[in-house]
Amino acid sequence: MSDPVTPVPATPTAPPTPSSRRFRLRHTPGHYLAELVIVVFLLIMAIIEFGPISWIFATSLRAPADSFNLPPDFWPTAFHWENYLAVIQSDQINFLGFFWNSLKIASIVTIAQLITTSMAGFAFGRLRFPGRDFLFFFFLASLMVPATVTLIPNYILIVKLFGLKDSHFSLILPALTSAFGVFLMRQQFKGVPNDLMDAAKMDGAGYFRIYWQIMLPHAAPTLTALAIFTFLASWNNYLAPLLFLRSWDQFTFPLAIVLLNGYMGSGNRAHVLAAVMISLTPALIIFLVGQRFIIRGVAITGMKG
Amino acid sequence: MIAGYLFIGPAFLTLVIFLVLPILAAFWLVFMDYDLLSPPKAAGLRNIQDLLSDTRLLDIYKNTAIFVVAATVLNNVIAILLALGVNRAFHPVFKYILRTAYFFPVLTTTASLALIWKFLLTQDRGVVNFLLQQINLPAVPWLSSSQWAMVSVVMFDVWRACGYLMVIYLAGLQTIPDVYYEAAAIDGATRLQSMRFITLPLLTPTTFFAVVISIIGAAQVFDNAWVLTGGGPNDASRLIMLYIYEIGFSRFAMGYAAAVSMTLFALLLLVTFLQFYLSRRWVHYE
Repeated sequence: MSDPVTPVPATPTAPPTPSSRRFRLRHTPGHYLAELVIVVFLLIMAIIEFGPISWIFATSLRAPADSFNLPPDFWPTAFHWENYLAVIQSDQINFLGFFWNSLKIASIVTIAQLITTSMAGFAFGRLRFPGRDFLFFFFLASLMVPATVTLIPNYILIVKLFGLKDSHFSLILPALTSAFGVFLMRQQFKGVPNDLMDAAKMDGAGYFRIYWQIMLPHAAPTLTALAIFTFLASWNNYLAPLLFLRSWDQFTFPLAIVLLNGYMGSGNRAHVLAAVMISLTPALIIFLVGQRFIIRGVAITGMKG
Repeated sequence: MIAGYLFIGPAFLTLVIFLVLPILAAFWLVFMDYDLLSPPKAAGLRNIQDLLSDTRLLDIYKNTAIFVVAATVLNNVIAILLALGVNRAFHPVFKYILRTAYFFPVLTTTASLALIWKFLLTQDRGVVNFLLQQINLPAVPWLSSSQWAMVSVVMFDVWRACGYLMVIYLAGLQTIPDVYYEAAAIDGATRLQSMRFITLPLLTPTTFFAVVISIIGAAQVFDNAWVLTGGGPNDASRLIMLYIYEIGFSRFAMGYAAAVSMTLFALLLLVTFLQFYLSRRWVHYE
């Protein structure tokens, strides 16, 4: 046990980073045991969390006839890549069509949300106009309403009033903006230094140019995080497509995959798993490329729930 | 001055059409009979009376309460443990791998993952039962028995969502200033002591936030139970959202579905208010 006072003179040599501070705490006798328990816990959880994903991959590469066989693989032992081709080229289902539907809807929704939320966020954060604070409060209040309440009336509105049943517009239109995104962008733009906006005004820039050339570039990291989450939320959405879409050629990916299981019959699990693997690719790519943005995104968009 | 209105215009219009109007319509629908085919008819208070005589509703709310409590507690406890574990002086590569493993299920389609777990949890040739039998434990009827169906739905939810909360807790941990730990080290505190008297109290604002959003999210879970068990066997794992879906889209009783969703809204409001009220007793703001 070290004298509790001695660490003080040592402080200047060790920079106060989160990692160095751990070592200045006293090490009790059980310290190494505790450390071991923690690492084992973290590893077990990692195996539980990732095991099913690697099972999907390993099984998707088995011969379809073996796909039900035990013991399970968590690492590929066979390489029947033709399962992937079989799903993609299947003449019973238009697999690429589902992929395209989901991609199209998620892209449109993402671009639309980035535009509408950043525009409104700019106005709420940087412009003055009568009723601004009241309108902003209205946006905030709408965040509190759970989706459950609007589920039934929205269905009636979209299907009965707008006649959009079985149309992708039924998924796109309600998702053109998000109150949360507006809130997030307002906070972001409030933090941009005043000098920048004043200088631009002096140069005779209109509001649209200020928004487009000064504000948006400043908000790029937040916009990226918002884009990732909006895209994935749309890509992963299941309930809305289940409600609105009726015909196979309109189906989105998640909807198609769940139905694929029944449709392809029980003998073709490897094919269903190949389809699932393909459905995971956008998340996988986004995750590998932008983990930094995602971690940041959850920290700032935590409210999204 | 007009510019402000133009900038908020698109967002505002979308919000009014797809959020404000539907909310107003929901209140109106509670007093209507509407089956989507014939025009809505005034129903007076019948939908509200139906709520009181609906015996399934009570059981389904019981299920939902069990699910919400179990999922919220497990998700948050595991997420805090994971965040405390990951937020250490590990090698960056090891950290990256851990974070990836925990967080990946969050990003992927819940419906697809629920389908995978349906395969894994099959009673006869399921992977989970196979692994259980390897260590001499009996096979479990995960999805087909009414005792286990809810356990499976909760397990799946924790598996899928705890990584999300972990990242929120990680962000919370990083806001705790180092000076507190340094002061504690100088006073000779053990790691357990600094955990108990610094980390956990200063993490309470994050914990409060995470618990509030967990409850609101869990109360409205649909995909999990829908794909995994379909709410069955019978109503054993039927959650309130599945019931609203059933009333609205297989019975086409839109008025009654709106009435049931209003009860959920009211309960969520009540629970959230209660949490804010109670938070004064346990949440420490700096």
